[in-house]
Amino acid sequence: MKKDMTKLGLTLMLYASLACASLAVVYAFTKESIDKQSELQLQASLKELFPEATVFDPIQDLSSPDPNIKFESAYEVKSDKAALGLAVKATGPSYGGNATLLVGIGLNRSVAGVRVMALNDTPGLGMNASNPTYYVDKTKKVTFLGQFAGKFLTDPFEVKKDVVAITAATISSRSLTNIIKAVGNAAVAYMDQKAVTAPTESGPSAEAGANTGAQPQAGGK
Amino acid sequence: MKKLYSIFKQGIIFENPLLMLMIGLCSAIAVTSNVSNGIGMGLAMTFVLLFSEIIISLFRKLIPSMIRIPIFIIVIAAFTTIVDLVMKAYFPDLSKSMGVFIPLIVVNCIIMGRVEAFASKQNLPSVIADALGMGLGYTWVLIGLAAVRELLGNGTLAGIQIMPASYQPILFFILPPGGFFVFSLFISFNLWLKKRMEVSARNKELAAKKEAA
Repeated sequence: MKKDMTKLGLTLMLYASLACASLAVVYAFTKESIDKQSELQLQASLKELFPEATVFDPIQDLSSPDPNIKFESAYEVKSDKAALGLAVKATGPSYGGNATLLVGIGLNRSVAGVRVMALNDTPGLGMNASNPTYYVDKTKKVTFLGQFAGKFLTDPFEVKKDVVAITAATISSRSLTNIIKAVGNAAVAYMDQKAVTAPTESGPSAEAGANTGAQPQAGGK
Repeated sequence: MKKLYSIFKQGIIFENPLLMLMIGLCSAIAVTSNVSNGIGMGLAMTFVLLFSEIIISLFRKLIPSMIRIPIFIIVIAAFTTIVDLVMKAYFPDLSKSMGVFIPLIVVNCIIMGRVEAFASKQNLPSVIADALGMGLGYTWVLIGLAAVRELLGNGTLAGIQIMPASYQPILFFILPPGGFFVFSLFISFNLWLKKRMEVSARNKELAAKKEAA
């Protein structure tokens, strides 16, 4: 009996090690491509959020106010002449595991835009957060994340009050809103502390509006 | 050859994993809100099923029956992770829209069921025929379900607007209750089809007997 158990254990170990080895090979093979894809995606999204920007300076001393939400990387966004705002790649818990968003904050303390980097959610429901043709406001064609563009951080950021939820995905909507709010608050605090301000009044706000095409309802109801 | 074809055929209608065996239903209802998800999930699942069945069939004499279930899970999980990584690397859009369902292939009962009931006892050619048949049976039902649900619930097919703009989508079909509703219609259709095919096969047999007499 004892001998049997050892033999079975060793057999199981053998199969597990074989599986591990083959996975390691595939992982090494695809890693470069996966990293490249996510880097490309990040660069493209940064450009989308701040079309005028030329420089994305990584910054380190921006910390998340919420222990559940992690800031993976943060950038101070600059054009040739002046600062434009901050962009933060943040990961936080959501309905189907962690969600990673790229949030841009303009100098006028409003959200410049939000892009999805990684999201695991129910297709057709929570996944609609990253669906470019799913509109929370059908007449104005505003997507779920689109509604945040141009929104000021003095707003409450509460789902079903000033944020329209995705149908049948309230938990996901709430989690994503929390991530955006955490980034916003941290970014505003950072900008206040470092005294990063807008050189002219029109610069960042005009730019924030241009990202969406449509001005979302800032006040909610 | 004829035997292989009859094994392959089983999975599509007579022993369709979803409509007759009724296993692996969770993912089937969950991903079918969109046709492209249905195709992606069907192909990914077929891939994992095919390779798991091949490996298990090749090693079937070397797997002690007492610990066969953990070994099956290791093999299935390894192939699922491979699919997940390859999709992330080369089809990032598809991988994004499939979300959490790729990792969930590991616990898809169809794979576990076929590996346990079929691959662990049969030789390589029959196993390949079985995996392809079952995979095709799974995929066609997913695509069919998704087509009905997406068309009625969203007015689109694979993301392309089909219904006129004035069509007000019936959200019910995208939500889980609508999934169950459409799924039950598919089950009754499959039963009807199966019965019809059986009757026509029996008639043919009788006619052949009569002729012989």
